[in-house]
Amino acid sequence: MTAINDVLRSRARLVIAGVVTLLFVAPIYLTIVNAFKTQSQILKSPEALPIPPTLDNLSTALARPDGLIQLGLQNSLIDVVFSVALLIPLASAFSFYISRRKTKARAAVLALLAAGLMIPPQVILLPTIQILTFFGLDHSYPGLILSNLGGGYLSFAVFVYVGFMRAVPNEIIEAARLDGASGLRIWWGIVMPLVRPATATVAIFSSLWIWNDFLNPLFILGPLQGQTITTGLYLTIGQYSVDYGQLFGIMFLAAIVPVVGYLFVQKQFIAGLTSGSSK
Amino acid sequence: MRTRKSRASRDNGLFAMAAVAFGLYLCFLVLPLLLSLKSSFTDENPLRSTSGFVGLDNYGEMIHDDQLHASLGFTLILAVGVTIAANAIGIAFAMMLNRTTLSYRVMRTIAFLPQVLSGVIVGFVWQTILTQQGLLNVTLQRIGLIDSPIAWLGSPNLALLSIGVVVTWILTGFTTVVYLAALQGVPVELYDSAAIDGATTWQRFARITFPLIAPGMTISVTISLITVLKLYDVITVLTGGGPANSTRSTALYIVKLAFTDNRFGYASAVAMLVLAMSAAIALSVTSLLRRREVNF
Repeated sequence: MTAINDVLRSRARLVIAGVVTLLFVAPIYLTIVNAFKTQSQILKSPEALPIPPTLDNLSTALARPDGLIQLGLQNSLIDVVFSVALLIPLASAFSFYISRRKTKARAAVLALLAAGLMIPPQVILLPTIQILTFFGLDHSYPGLILSNLGGGYLSFAVFVYVGFMRAVPNEIIEAARLDGASGLRIWWGIVMPLVRPATATVAIFSSLWIWNDFLNPLFILGPLQGQTITTGLYLTIGQYSVDYGQLFGIMFLAAIVPVVGYLFVQKQFIAGLTSGSSK
Repeated sequence: MRTRKSRASRDNGLFAMAAVAFGLYLCFLVLPLLLSLKSSFTDENPLRSTSGFVGLDNYGEMIHDDQLHASLGFTLILAVGVTIAANAIGIAFAMMLNRTTLSYRVMRTIAFLPQVLSGVIVGFVWQTILTQQGLLNVTLQRIGLIDSPIAWLGSPNLALLSIGVVVTWILTGFTTVVYLAALQGVPVELYDSAAIDGATTWQRFARITFPLIAPGMTISVTISLITVLKLYDVITVLTGGGPANSTRSTALYIVKLAFTDNRFGYASAVAMLVLAMSAAIALSVTSLLRRREVNF
């Protein structure tokens, strides 16, 4: 009798959990189904499945003369790839270097870096643009990438790496030193392979944040220098506020890269969130 | 002496990379912060080439700036409300999804999806739902719950509530993951012995689960607060700070002062206030919550 009760209870629990989860992600569901419906279908019943589905919204969005989707995705990709490809070696080399220093110097530098995690971006936005202007790099992708590298992402990456590098046994490094290996060689050949989970965490989260960043691309690139997908959406989508089909089509195409990326790495994504939160 | 020298030279390459990283940090985080602090004592304006030292004038102006007070009030209410809601729902979601079978893992994956979307996309998706002719009003009218559309984003109190709901929606994925991780650290034996002692569901939650997820709560509450305090994109898309500036957060106000009014000096002073407040809130909340953490 209790066994049957247990089964019923876990079934009920599953159904309730399923309904709650679906309600929670209803806005995402609406975006997906309505991207494949006509305006009149959307207004008649926004929650219905797209029967028959139409690809008009997607093809109209892709055929835009301003290339919002194609250029936006391309620019975001450039921004993310260059930022993360430079951030990872710089942050991990820095973390390795600092984790081998005396405790006091290390603590002081890490405390200075901790500030980077706390500072709201709008506090440093204005002087950052002035500094980039001084170097002639304002309104440019190199300028945006440099400020990505120096800003809060470095703090985050260093904290993740330093945590993992504490676990690397000193003996391995000393042994390599006795064999005459250089610091760079030890870092690249021994430490980097051992801290792969840290690299995965840094790569996933910095890619996501840089891809989704709004304030820096908007004000560092300015409106004329080629938009990332995020700023491009903001600057062009307003005029479609009543054409829901177009709106959902564009948002579907803009969201598909991070969503598919997330589904691919969701295990590491969740592991990264948890390792960051349990210190 | 010789070995030391050769060891130092063997580390030159690594030192160079570390120096570049630290140099970038100094150049694009520490230096901007110092420049911002410096301009908070000036009347800097990009339309004029000269800027003068004005002492504490900018800080004095903040005392009488009603728009600043309104934005601070909005930001703090939003931060407190969203933090409470996102953490309460996060705990409930974590307890609901704390099973390892496939269907629960699929649900987790789906429930975290809002986490990966940009604030701009989230803002536009919710705007299609919440505007006057939006999908929420269309649906409510269709099923006869309301006669005329409700201005979810068009009246100050409803707009505050709507933004709160949307930001809570974004943050809940994060709080859920943190509490799920914390729940997995709670020893099952504690529940078993509580069951033997005849503890009710509520007692088990209040005496075991809640105290033991406290470390997760410290980090989750702190991150929620900081996230709302620097929030920019979602509000910009949803209301742009309106109606009548009622949803203008301090982040939006700083950007408006700097880039619309060209008042760099005053914008920097407000930025310094926000920085000090964020630091004070984060530090006091962390130390307050740390005290009720239980360690094994």
